[in-house]
Formats: sequence, structure tokens, C-alpha cells
Amino acid sequence: MQRVRLRVGTVLTCLILALGGASEGRAQTGTSLTLLSREGRRPVPITVINNQEYVAVDDLAGPFGTTAREAAGGLTITARGRTIVVTADQPVVSAAGRLVSLPAPALRRDNRWLVPVEFLPRALSLVLDTRLDWRRPTRLLVVGDLRVPRVVARTESGATSASITFEISPVTPTRVSAETGRLVVQFEADALDLLVPPLPQQPFLSAVALVDPGTAVAITTGPRFGSFRSSSSQPDASSSRLTIDLMPSTTDLAGAAAAAAPPPAPPPVDPGFAIPASPATGVRTVVIDPGHGGDELGAQGPRGALEKEITLAVSRRLRTLIESRLGMRVFLTREDDRTISHDDRSAFANNHQADLFLSIHANAAVRPNIKGAEVYYLSVERADAEARKRAEDAGVALPTLGGGTRAIDLILWETAQSRYLEQSAALASAVQESLRARVEMSPRAVQQAPFRVLVGANMPSALVEIGYVSNPEQEQQLTSADYQNKVAEALLDAIVKFRAQLERTAP
Amino acid sequence: MLRRVLVGVAVVAAAGVFGWLVMSALGRVLRTPAAPTPDPATEAPAVAPPPGAEPAAGPRIKATLFFGSEDGHRLVGVEQDVPLAEGTIAQARALVEALLSTAPTPPLVRTIPEGTTLRGIYVSDQQEVFVDLDAVVRIQHTGGSMQELLTVYSLVNTVLVNLPTASAVQILIDGREADTLAGHVDLRRPLRKNEALIVTPVPSQSPS
Repeated sequence: MQRVRLRVGTVLTCLILALGGASEGRAQTGTSLTLLSREGRRPVPITVINNQEYVAVDDLAGPFGTTAREAAGGLTITARGRTIVVTADQPVVSAAGRLVSLPAPALRRDNRWLVPVEFLPRALSLVLDTRLDWRRPTRLLVVGDLRVPRVVARTESGATSASITFEISPVTPTRVSAETGRLVVQFEADALDLLVPPLPQQPFLSAVALVDPGTAVAITTGPRFGSFRSSSSQPDASSSRLTIDLMPSTTDLAGAAAAAAPPPAPPPVDPGFAIPASPATGVRTVVIDPGHGGDELGAQGPRGALEKEITLAVSRRLRTLIESRLGMRVFLTREDDRTISHDDRSAFANNHQADLFLSIHANAAVRPNIKGAEVYYLSVERADAEARKRAEDAGVALPTLGGGTRAIDLILWETAQSRYLEQSAALASAVQESLRARVEMSPRAVQQAPFRVLVGANMPSALVEIGYVSNPEQEQQLTSADYQNKVAEALLDAIVKFRAQLERTAP
Repeated sequence: MLRRVLVGVAVVAAAGVFGWLVMSALGRVLRTPAAPTPDPATEAPAVAPPPGAEPAAGPRIKATLFFGSEDGHRLVGVEQDVPLAEGTIAQARALVEALLSTAPTPPLVRTIPEGTTLRGIYVSDQQEVFVDLDAVVRIQHTGGSMQELLTVYSLVNTVLVNLPTASAVQILIDGREADTLAGHVDLRRPLRKNEALIVTPVPSQSPS
């Protein structure tokens, strides 16, 4: 064991030496992946066979200190005293006694053993007991708990100004500074996973690239650049956005500023512009969750309407209505087409201390004739209810440094919603009533279900299925402004009713 | 020192041989859940159904399988003959396979996408049944909360209504614990029977 540690140490020293100029470029060609550890970057060759990227097992010995031994059609790889057993032409390996599936079989070619790249995060990480995070778009393999945000750059160029936007995930603080001939964006991170699309020739900027030691991005400015203005926003719980407007050196600054406003950004919430909400009301902040998004399309209509687009459109309409008529604070869990986990959605609502959480969805059925809107609130399994009670009754004793324990109160994340079931039922009922006055309802208009997105929400919550996109008539309705407005009006009305009900029942 | 190294090498070799044996036995089966016991005897069909696996003859039981109702919002229990099998694992397998392979008589509809196959069944000490389906169940799913509820609970109810000893059912996809099937129903833990979705059973259903 000692020897293995020693070897890892030596390897890490080699990595430091290998760092050098490697941080500037990134292998996009498919010939190697970049192994990124606390000690630096190091290339590992990739072989592509049948559209699957493979790495050679003997190339892993250097960076990870693995040893390999062949026996009877198989290969035993040892690291840190634990073993992985690989079989030729089998898409499954045994790692530290657990069976792990791979997207393609291990291969033995020209006296070398090749394993799919996914072998590293799925199997090797188990025996090394280290996180190995594979970022396919940039061919980065992140070793350990490094902060390596994904940064996607996007540029927009007009006649009088240009802007560059960085979508940063997870949320990472940044600092922008001007140097001669360039702007430098410094990220609070260990490294960056940067994707820059090909830049067209433009007068305000000429290049965007990583600078040493790989935690900053340099924007090389063009001949017309004069000054810049940067702004940050956090469109959802899991990402932040940095927009830098590049303005010309001479006149027309006002025009430039107008043109450079980031187009997809929503109107900022100005607490002063609307009728102030009464502090006595129980509902001041609403979080709306447009269902699905990004890779997760949700249901699809027969003519191709996508649930994820419908839910975002309705959520935006609802936000505008609530802000303008009720003066409440409203946040959307996503502002655009992106994939967000269920936990991030409910965490977003919890972090914004929302008083109410509505998840917006469109439904689907096998039979095309099925239609109507439905409202759901959480059903709690008996075991979960028991766990919650135990946690609430007992509190939790945590061991403290130096011995002893400390009792703390604990709300289990997994059971957060179960404290609000009564209020959520009232909310669901208010939503059903308001929807029924405006749109067609399904025969089962209010139901309880163990829905994932509702579990962790620490406030009254409901999931609204605003219609069946699988029904041709409803598909057309769901994509129309008229129907979307009706639904948004109904939900607004439901929030007013629910708020009134809370006030009546308040002590 | 040398002795310690030799012992270490022996332990590593033994672990390697053990891992090797485990893997050869289970073939293409993927990661197994921590608590449940895999069912090696019935894993073989996951690779290639051996001849004679078709239970053409032998004792059968009357089981209730659940399909989607005409109005698309309920589950309807349909009685059907299913091979009698020894033990919870084998019987759960027979039930789920019957549910997957049966095309219900209209106006009832399938709740599980056609082509979905059962990869394995495991049962934990708490008599929780783990039903491991392949990814077709997710890829071919129409989406939508209602359809997802019907898919999940037709499986859960079919197992629990017919196997009184089973306490709950958890659905795995491709050998792994899944967050959801199509973005709604929480699949991270075993689910209990859902009676609110069930319509009164209709007798007689002939297998297709």
C-alpha cells in the first residue's frame, strides 16, 4: 500500500512537469483525452473503434499507478490493492467485487487491452476511490474534487457593438479586468472546461482562449473596441451567466448600449414597480418550474410540439402576470432550454425561500383521444412518513471533533414536502377550481402521486399538467397564445385564492 | 516484510479470482443493487433464452395483470393464467414477463412500451421486489405524468396484488437505480400498491 502511494506521488510530480504549455490548447481531434488533476494536465491517447472511444489499459499505469496481469482470456487490473477483472469482448467488468456495465465491450488488439473511456469514471474510480468525471464535449477527465466549471462562450455582434456571454455551470464567481489589447475573465476555479464556438471575423473581438494556468479566459479585443461593461446573473440554481458588452471607442455609446443588451435575459424583477405586496400575506415569493428542458424533451405531440417548450412559454406568461398584477417576486427554475436535475429545481425554490412552488407540465397518453388538465400534489409512502417522524422526534446526534456528540434539529431533504401536504392539497384544489373555469379538465382532475420534483420542496407545492400534448386538438391549443394565456390567468387566480385562504387560516 | 508482501499478493490474487468467478457466472448482468440477492438461476435468459425455458406445460395460477383503462386514467385488473413458479423471485419473474408480453383486449391498452424486456428480478430481506427492465421502457415511453403513473403502477400492482409476501416494488432500469422513468415518478425507492388507480377487475383475458 505504501508503495502504491509513493508511486501515485511520483506520478503526480510527473503531471506537474507535464503541465507547462498544455493548458492553452485542448485536444478536440479525438486522438487524446486530457486528464486534469490537482497537479495539472496530461494527455492520454484515445483510439476510436466502431464510434466508441477507447483507452489502452497500459496507458493508465502512468497516471493512476495501475498494474495489469493477463490470465485465461481476461485481464486483472490492480490499483490501491483492489482489482478490476476485464474480459475480452464483454461489456461488463468486475470492479472491487461489483459488476459495472460499459457502453461497449473491452477489446484485445495488437497485444494491447483497450477499454471504453467510460471504464475510467465507472470502474477505475471505484477501485481508486476517487471521483473521475468524464466531460465528453471537451474530452476532459477531471480527477478528484476539482472545481472545473463548464464554460460555454457565445458571441453576438452588431454594427455598433458586440457582446460575449459565458454560461457557467455550476455557479462560479468571476472577475473581469482590462489589459492591453485584451480583457481577462478570472474564474474562481481550479481549471475550466471551456467550449468556444468558431468566431466569425468581427471588429470588436478577434479571439477567445484560455490563459495560464487555465483558470482565466482572455478575450482579444479588435480595432473598434473602446470600453466594456460586464454584468452577471443567475438564471437558475445550477448556473450563472456573465455578459460582457464591448462598446466602440468613439461616439454613439447610447445606441451601442441599447444594441448590446443581452437578448435572452428576462426583464429584471424590480420590487418597486408594482403594487407592494402586503407583508401580512403568506405568499410573497413564487417559484415556477417549467417542466423538462435541454436533453429531456418531455412528451411530444403528433405534430412535433415539445412539452419542454410549452412549459417554458406558459411559465413566462405566468411570471409576467404575477409580477404585474400581484407584485410578488417570481423566479423560474430555468429561463431557457437546458437540462436541470429534479434536486436542483426544488433546491432553487428552497434557496429562494419561495412560499409556493408550481411545476408546469404537459401530459401524454397512449390513446390520442385523451385530454384535459390535471393537478397533482405529493403522495407520501408510509416508510417516508415514518422516517420523517423519527427525524423530527429524535433530532440527530452528530459526532463532534474530539469526541462526544451534538444534537441538531433536522429536516430530511427527502421529506421536506411532507410537512406541507395539507397546504399543497389546498393549493391543488384552488388550481383545479380556477383551471376548470377556463379550460377542459380530465376526469381525474386532482390526484396524489409520488412525483420526484415535489419531494424536496420545502413549501406548498403542486404539479400542473395543463393538457395532453398527445391529443391533436390539445397540441394545437397548448402551442397557442390564447390557451397559454388562459392557463396563466387560471394559475394567477389560483394563487390569489390560495393566498386568501392562507390569510383566513393564519392565527 | 517479505512475508507480509507475499500475503498481500495472495489476497489480491484471491480477490481477482473471486471477482473473475462472479463475473463469469453472471455474464452480462450489470451492477446489482446492494441489498437484494440476485437470482442466478433465472439470469440466464437475459443472455439467451435456453430451450425449454418456455413454460408451455406445467401448473399455472390465475393472476391479475394490470392494463390501462379506456379513459386513460386508471388501471384495470385482468385475470390471466400465469405459470406457477417456486419462490418469490421466480413467481415475480413469471408475473412481470406475462405483463410485458400480453397485448390486452381493446379497449384496454398496454402501459409498458412494447419491446421492453425484463433483465432480472431481485428480492431483498424486507421482501422488496426489484424489477430490472431494459432501457426500452424509458426510450419508447410517450412521457406525461399520467402515462408514467400507469406504467409504474401496472408493474407495482401486478407484483404486489399477486404476491402477498412482497412488501414493495422498486423499478431498476438497465441494472441501475433510476431517478424517474420519464421525468415524474420518483423511482429511487420501493413503491407500495396504489389502489386509487385501480378500477374493479374484469374477468377473463386470453393471452395473445
